[in-house]
Amino acid sequence: MSAGALLLLALVSLTLAMLTGGRFARTWLGFVLVAAATGSAAAVTVFATGAEWEWQSDFRVGGEALHLRLDGVSALFLALLSVLGGGGAAYAREYWPDEHYPDSAPRGRACWSSLMLCMGLVLLSSNGLHFLIAWELFAVSAFFLLTLDRQRREVRQSGWLYLAASHGGTLCLFAFFGTLAARTGSWELGPLRERADLSPLFWLALAGFGVKAGLFPLHIWLPSAHANAPSHVSALMSGVAIKMGAYGLVRFSGWLPVPAEAGWALLLLGSVSALFGIAFALAQSDLKRLLAYCSVENIGIICAGLGLALLGAARHHAAWGQLALAGTLLHVWNHGAFKALLFFGAGSVVHAAGTREMSRLGGLWRAMPWTASLFTLGCLAVAGLPPLNGFVSEWLIYLGLFDGAALRAAPLGAVMPPAILLAAAGALALACFAKAAAIVFLGAPRTKAAERAHEGGAWMHGPMLLLAGVCLALGLAPLAFWPAVASASRAWNPTWVASEPPAPLAALSLVQLTLACLAGAVAVGLWRKACANGLRRGLTWDCGYARPTARMQYTSGAFAGLAAGWFTWLLRPERLLHRPRGLLPARATHIERVPETVLERVLTPVAKQVLRASTATRRLQHGRLPAYILYLVAGLCALGLFVLLGGRP
Amino acid sequence: MMLLELIVRLALWLLLAPLLPGIINKVKAWVAGRRGPPVLQLYYDLARLWRKGVVMSTLASPGFIIGPAVAWVAVAGAALLLPLGAAGSLVGFRGDMLMLLYLLALARFCTSWAALETGSAFEGMGAAREVSYAVLAEAALIAAMLSLCVQTGSTALATMLAPSGGAGAVLLAAGLFLVLLAENCRVPFDDPNTHLELTMIHEVMVLDHSGPPLAVLLHCATMKLLLFALLLTQAVLPIGRLSEPANATVLAGGVLLAMVGVGLVESLLARLAFRRVPLFLVTAFLLCLFALLMAWKGGRA
Amino acid sequence: MNDWLNPLLGLAIGLNLLALGTSRLPTLTSAVATQGMALGLMPLFMEEHSDWRVWLIAAATVAGKGLVIPALLRRAMRAAHIDREMEPLIGFVPSLLLGAGGTIAAVALARLLPLLPEHSGSLLVPGSLASVLTGFVLLIGRTKAISQVCGYLILENGIYLFGLLLIHSTTLLVEAGILLDVTVGVFIIGIIVDRIQRAFDSLDTRKLTTLRE
Repeated sequence: MSAGALLLLALVSLTLAMLTGGRFARTWLGFVLVAAATGSAAAVTVFATGAEWEWQSDFRVGGEALHLRLDGVSALFLALLSVLGGGGAAYAREYWPDEHYPDSAPRGRACWSSLMLCMGLVLLSSNGLHFLIAWELFAVSAFFLLTLDRQRREVRQSGWLYLAASHGGTLCLFAFFGTLAARTGSWELGPLRERADLSPLFWLALAGFGVKAGLFPLHIWLPSAHANAPSHVSALMSGVAIKMGAYGLVRFSGWLPVPAEAGWALLLLGSVSALFGIAFALAQSDLKRLLAYCSVENIGIICAGLGLALLGAARHHAAWGQLALAGTLLHVWNHGAFKALLFFGAGSVVHAAGTREMSRLGGLWRAMPWTASLFTLGCLAVAGLPPLNGFVSEWLIYLGLFDGAALRAAPLGAVMPPAILLAAAGALALACFAKAAAIVFLGAPRTKAAERAHEGGAWMHGPMLLLAGVCLALGLAPLAFWPAVASASRAWNPTWVASEPPAPLAALSLVQLTLACLAGAVAVGLWRKACANGLRRGLTWDCGYARPTARMQYTSGAFAGLAAGWFTWLLRPERLLHRPRGLLPARATHIERVPETVLERVLTPVAKQVLRASTATRRLQHGRLPAYILYLVAGLCALGLFVLLGGRP
Repeated sequence: MMLLELIVRLALWLLLAPLLPGIINKVKAWVAGRRGPPVLQLYYDLARLWRKGVVMSTLASPGFIIGPAVAWVAVAGAALLLPLGAAGSLVGFRGDMLMLLYLLALARFCTSWAALETGSAFEGMGAAREVSYAVLAEAALIAAMLSLCVQTGSTALATMLAPSGGAGAVLLAAGLFLVLLAENCRVPFDDPNTHLELTMIHEVMVLDHSGPPLAVLLHCATMKLLLFALLLTQAVLPIGRLSEPANATVLAGGVLLAMVGVGLVESLLARLAFRRVPLFLVTAFLLCLFALLMAWKGGRA
Repeated sequence: MNDWLNPLLGLAIGLNLLALGTSRLPTLTSAVATQGMALGLMPLFMEEHSDWRVWLIAAATVAGKGLVIPALLRRAMRAAHIDREMEPLIGFVPSLLLGAGGTIAAVALARLLPLLPEHSGSLLVPGSLASVLTGFVLLIGRTKAISQVCGYLILENGIYLFGLLLIHSTTLLVEAGILLDVTVGVFIIGIIVDRIQRAFDSLDTRKLTTLRE
C-alpha cells in the first residue's frame, strides 16, 4: 500500500478514536493501535523506497490549499510518534482505567487521540498556516491531557504554566512563519536554501521551537508539567511532544539558510543545556521531576549534535558533520524510547506505592521484579552505557566532535568546550540514574506504602517490554536502522548521500553484541559458581552493626549531595532545618528543596517588578472626569510645543 | 586465528594484572623498612576467595552477583580494546577510545549498583563518592584523549598512542598519573589500607561482598590499574617507533615505573581530606587541558 | 633566544596556577620567589650583548625578588603565627579555574595585538597578562594580608614581563625602574602589615572595616 493510503487509514482511525473514545474504551484502544501500526508502516514505506510522498488538496482550508509531505525527516518522527502513542494507549488501559477515574478517563482518551492526530499533522504539514493551526491544537490538547487530574492544585498550576510558556513560544513562531510568508510571498514551505535574506529568521525559530523542546533556559514549564501529569502522558510528552520542537529545528535548519554563527550558538547552547539539565536532575528527590530534567539534558545533546552538523555543512559538507547529524537523529529515537520506558516504570511505581517521592520508596525490587529490571535497563540506556542505544547515538556525536578536532577543521573554541561539557554531563547522568534506580528499587522499604507495593499487570508490562526491546535492538544492531537515518539525512541536505553506514559503526555494533553475550554468560557462570560454593543469606554485615533499620540507608539527597554541592550557585537549594534539641528531642525536621531556578529566581522577581510598575501606573486611571479632561489638555499643549519647536508632524 | 589471539591476550591480562598490587606493596614495604607480603600475594588471595562460599544480605537481589560479573566483562572488554604497543589491539576502529571510556563507566555503574544492593549507609556513602569524583576524572580523561587526537590527527587508539605526547608530554603524564591515582583509588584520593569506613571510597563498596564475586571485583580492579598504567606509558613514550622486542620491554618497564611511582606516592603522601579532592582533580583536568592547548598550538605553528 | 624564554615563561604561568590553588602560605611565598628568580634571569637571555650592568641588575633582581622579599614575608608569617589561608572570598577551585581561563584568554588576546614579529611567537605577552590577572584574583579573593602581598608581587611580575618588550630600546631603564618600584612597594607593605598585626593581633584584612567609624 502506498504511504498516502496508510496515512489516510491512520487519520480515519484516529478520528474515530477521538469520537468514540469517551464511551468505548476497548474499541478506542483498537483504533489507536491500528493508527499506530499504519503510521509506522507509512514511515517504513518512505524509508524503504527512499521516495517522499506529497499531496496537495483541491479544497482550501483557511484560504490555503492543504499540502502534506512525508519525507525522511518527518517519517523518522512519525514512526516515533506511532510507537509511543500506541504504547501509551495500551499502558493507560491499566494505569488510568474507568473504574478509578470515571470523569477523567474518557476525557483522557479523547484528548490522547486528538494529540496524536495534531502531532501527526504538524509533522506532515508543508504549509505555514496549517503548521501553525496544527501546532496550536497540539498545544491545547496537551494542556487538557496534562491537567487530567484537575482536583489537585499543583496539577492545575503546572498546566497554566505550560500553556503560558507554550504560547510564548508560539508567538515567536507566528512571527517566524509570518515573516517567512511575507518575504517569500506565499505560505508554502519547502527547501529555500538559496534565499540568503531568510537566515536571520533562524533565531526566531530557535526561540519558538526551543520553548517547546525545553532547551535551557526556556525549559521552565517542563519539570512541573511532566512531573505532575499522569505517567503515560508524561511519557508521550517527553518522548514525542518535545521532539516536535527538535523536529522544527531540524526541519527549518535544513530547508532554510542559517546565519554563520548558528552552528556555534546551537552547539554551545546545547552543551550548556545538557550540563545544567543533568545537574538539576541530580538534585531532585521527586522521581518524575528527575526524569523531566533529564529530558532537558537530552534535548541539549540533540541540539548540540544539530549545531555540529550545521558547522559541518558550512565547512564543505564535512564527513564529521554527517556523523553528528546521524547521531542527532538517532538520539531523537533513542531518547524517545528510553525516556518513555523510564516514565512507564515510574508510573508503575506511583501506581504501586502511591508516591513519587524517592525518600519514601525503596526495596521495591522484591515486589516488582519486572518493573525493576526494565527500569534498570532504561537507566543503563539513559546514562549512555554500552551496549545499549544511548551509547550509540552519543558515540556518533562524540566521533563527529573528535574527527572535527583531529582534522583541525573546526576552531578549537568550537570543539573543546562541548566535548568537556558533554563528558561531564555523561558522568553526572550516570550518577543521577544510579541514584534513581538504586534508591527506589534496592535496599529495604523506607515506609509502609513501599512495603505494600504490588506489581502491575500485563498491560503495563507490555509497552515497557516493547520499548526495552527497541532499546536493545537499537544498541546491538544499529546498522538495521541505518536506512532510516540515511534517508532522513538525505532529506535534510540532498548532497549528504550517506547510503552506507560509517565503517566504525559496524565494528562498534559487533563489539557491543559480543560484550552483551559475554556479560550474560559470565553472569550466569558466576551465579552458578556462587551457588555451587554455597550461598547463604544473612543480615547486611555493615561492619558488624547488629540492628540495621530502613531509615539508616543512604537517601537520594545524600547520594547526590556531593556532586550537587558543586552546583549550588546554579541550583540555589532552600533548606528548612530544625535540629533535635535537648536530651530527649521531640521533633526534628530537615527539608531541602531545589526550586526551578530560572523560573523562581529570575522570571518571578522580574514579573513581580513588572506587576508593581503597572499597579503604580494604574493610579492614573481613577475615574475622575475633570482629571481626564486635564490629560487631554496637557496632551494638546505638548503637541503644540512640539510643533512650535520645529519637530516634523 | 582470531580466537587464538583472543585467548592469548585474555590470558595475558588475566595473569599479569594481579602482579601490580604486589609490586606496589613491596615498594611501600621497602620504603617503610619492612619485608612486606610476597609479590604473588594477590594470586593466593584470589584462589582462596574462589573456593569460598557467598553470604548475601537478605535485602540483596541477584544484581548483587550480576553486578561484579558485568563490571569484570566491561573492564576486560576495555582491556582488549587498548593496543599493546606494536602488537596492537584485538579490534580497533575509529572512536574506540570513547568505547573504552564508557566501558569503564559501565564498570563503575555496576560496582555502585552492587554496593547499593545491601541497603547499608557505608556502601551508599562509598558509591556516592565514587560516582561524584568520576565526573571530574572523566572531564580530565576526555581532555587527555582530545589532546592525543589533536596531536596525531587520528581518532583510533592504535594510531593515537603510537607516537608520543609531543610537546605537552610532561603535562599529559602528570595529568594522567593523577587520574590513575584517582580512578584506582590510591593515595592521595583513597587509602587502600585504611580500616576506617568513613574514610573509604572503593574499599567500602566491597564491604559486604564475599567469595567468588569478591574475587571477581578485586581482579577487575587490578585489570583497571594495568589498563591505566599501559595507557599512561603509551601516551607519553614514543612506543610506535621501536621494534617488537624493544617495544615489549619498554612497555613492561613503563608499567613497572608507574607502579613504583604509585608505591612511592602512597608511602610519602597522606590521604587528602575529602573536601580537597575536587581541587586535585581540577588540577589534573587543567594539566590535560594545557596539554591539549599545547598540542593544538604545536600543530598550527 | 626564544628556546630558553618560552620554557621559563611556561614555568612562570605554571607558578601562577600553583599560587592560585594552594592554601598554604609558605608554598605561596616559594612560588612567588621562584617566579621572581625566573623573571630576573630573563634579561640575560634577551640582551644580545650582556655587559656587567645587565649581570648586576639581574643578580640584584634575583636576590631581591627571590631571597630578600620572601625572607621578609616568612618573618611576618612567623610573627603572626599563621600558615594557612582558611576561607578565601573566592574559593580555591573557582580561582584556579578563573586563572586557567584567564591564561587561555590571554593567549587568544595576544594573537590579536599588533606585536613585533620577534615577539609574536613567544609567550611574553600572554604570560604578562595572565600574571596580572592572577595578581588581581589573589588581591580580591584572599583575606589574609600576606596572600594579598603575594598577589601584588605577582601583579608586578606581570607588569615587568610586559616591560621586557621594550628591552631592546630602553634596556636598563626598564629593569632598574621596576626593581626600584617593587622595593619601595614592599617596604611600605611591610610597614603596613606590621601595623595591622599590632593593631588587630591578626592579619585578617576584613578587620580593617572597623576603622570606618
